[in-house]
Amino acid sequence: MPADSANNSTSERAICAENVSLGYGDRTILKDVSFCVEQGQIVTVLGGSGSGKSTLMKGLIGLLKPTKGRVRLYGKDIFETGAEAWLEWARRRIGVLFQSGALIGSLTLGENIALPIREFSNVPKEILPEIVRLKLEMVRLGGYESYYPAELSGGMKKRAGLARAIALDPKTLFCDEPTEGLDPVISAEMDNLLMELNRVLGITMVVVTHDLPSIKAISDWSIMVDGEARGIIATGPPNELENSSDSRVYDFFHRIARPVNSERR
Amino acid sequence: MGRGFPFETGKSSEGELLISFTTPLTYETAAEIWQSVSTLASRKENASLVLDLSAVSKVDSAGAALLRSIQGLCERKGVRLRTQSIQPPIKHFLEFLEREKPKKDKPSPPSGSMLERFGAFLIEQAAEFRDFARFCGSVFAVMAGSIRHPAKFRWAESFYYLQLAGSNAMTILFLIMFLLGVVMTFQAAIQLRQFGANIYVADLVSLALARELAPVFTAMLLAGRSGSAFAAEIGTMKVGEELDALSVMGFNLPEFITLPKVLALMIAAPLLTMWANFAGLVGGIAVSSVSLDLTPYSFMYEVYTTIEFSDIAGGLLKTEVFAILIALVGCFRGFQTSMGADSVGRQTTAAVVSGLFLIIFADAILTVIYYFLGW
Ligand SMILES: Nc1ncnc2c1ncn2[C@@H]1O[C@H](COP(=O)(O)OP(=O)(O)OP(=O)(O)O)[C@@H](O)[C@H]1O
Ligand SMILES: [Mg+2]
Repeated sequence: MPADSANNSTSERAICAENVSLGYGDRTILKDVSFCVEQGQIVTVLGGSGSGKSTLMKGLIGLLKPTKGRVRLYGKDIFETGAEAWLEWARRRIGVLFQSGALIGSLTLGENIALPIREFSNVPKEILPEIVRLKLEMVRLGGYESYYPAELSGGMKKRAGLARAIALDPKTLFCDEPTEGLDPVISAEMDNLLMELNRVLGITMVVVTHDLPSIKAISDWSIMVDGEARGIIATGPPNELENSSDSRVYDFFHRIARPVNSERR
Repeated sequence: MGRGFPFETGKSSEGELLISFTTPLTYETAAEIWQSVSTLASRKENASLVLDLSAVSKVDSAGAALLRSIQGLCERKGVRLRTQSIQPPIKHFLEFLEREKPKKDKPSPPSGSMLERFGAFLIEQAAEFRDFARFCGSVFAVMAGSIRHPAKFRWAESFYYLQLAGSNAMTILFLIMFLLGVVMTFQAAIQLRQFGANIYVADLVSLALARELAPVFTAMLLAGRSGSAFAAEIGTMKVGEELDALSVMGFNLPEFITLPKVLALMIAAPLLTMWANFAGLVGGIAVSSVSLDLTPYSFMYEVYTTIEFSDIAGGLLKTEVFAILIALVGCFRGFQTSMGADSVGRQTTAAVVSGLFLIIFADAILTVIYYFLGW
């Protein structure tokens, strides 16, 4: 396991971003971002729409190469040359829920979830359907095994995406807005699910969200990014951020609209 | 049974078979445990089982599924099963997973006999043909409207597709037809040389090109390049709900989406066919001047005396029909796309297959009509 092989001070750190700059083409979205996520923590990434939360997540899971700086996963730089095999190995221990759900359209929900399990573990075929059923029940989609993604609502796709992300009980889970498009009751259930997975299986989580109740419920720690500042403007537990003196953070937590003329872009 | 076996067996105080797990129940151990436990549960002498989880420090999803599978297996075999000494956190996790199990399942599609399925297939084909006819009707209706108000028509869009389907196809079409001309001339020469009738190679090649080969090959190229592209483009728009958005905004989809494409192919096809004729003749001239002792001039003069206006016009009329069919079936398949990326792929393939079928089908009908008209 990578955590064992890296016998240094960063070994308890699941993820570390060191002066990471991310962007598309010439456009820099985030500049010189640094933070660490300890193993077993739930860290939420907050920020307004378009502030670069999804971009940050793509950087952390190695889908977007930083223009500057390093991302370490269990102490190892994911873009180090020669680390490709390791990255592939590590990715099988990472679960990712994309903002769109990203289910495979040609497969039923059951097959979508069975896909990584069949490919990357050796569970017997008698148990496989049981795991699939269990995962779907976890996200309250029990009985939907034979449905195709196109036959689901937006929120159901999201939940099914979460079920696939946790199919292999990953060591680390990245979620892009897991409660977006869900009603308050199911949102709360998803929060409970994440916390339960975190508690029982010790899954480290990075959750992108701007759902206030969810932030308060699940976060050990929050990171707030801002589009205009192009970086992190605050970190800390949510109850601290809530009373922040920074008006940008305060407004976010108290749903205060900004005056029109202060809007850039 | 190798070292580190995942459980120990014994007898409980009531004489039941006691299975004490010694490892965590996880993805890594599930396979081995399942194999051994399912063998034990299947043995006749084991009428009741006790699972002891006192030494189990961790259960993950595979472990939970394993326990459920064992439970299901025991129920089916009529074996009594009981678990004991579960550590509190694990018990909590298992209970959390058991919260509530809604049962609902989609009805599976009926599977009939061979004959039934063949019948269903025919009905489906008939319905598809009817839909296609309707689709064509709606396009022709808006086409008639556009002819009355040509200023409203989206010409820029049409020219865009004209470029994609027409001028961008010229190189590959030239290459294909040139080589076809070369091959045909060689084949004809072998036969005709025996009778010293070299010069008739020109008649044969030019007639075959103008009446049949140039229109059909051009149409096939259009079906492969453009019909498929139309289907993929419209299909992708459908998947992204773009078509829905356009129609609720009040756009007439046949007019907005289909008509520019149909018109582009209607303009491109006859031009490409003339180009194909030219390329084929160049191939013929090249071979006959190198190996048949025919000068280009005598070849062309022979062509000039043989080919009549009706040969060319008949060929162009054919192409026009093919082009309309290809564009319509390409768009039709695009609109037929259901949700999902694989559906786009399937409809793109279907666009090409239906396009090729329609080309040959229309060609047969037109050839018969021409025969009776004496063209
Ligand atoms: N593939 C891309 N190419 C170019 N620019 C992009 C791309 N994806 C995102 N961006 C830009 O990056 C910025 C941040 O986008 P991002 O998706 O990270 O926002 P976000 O914080 O996740 O917003 P939301 O809460 O709405 O999901 C946006 O201004 C967007 O224009
Ligand atoms: Mg986002």
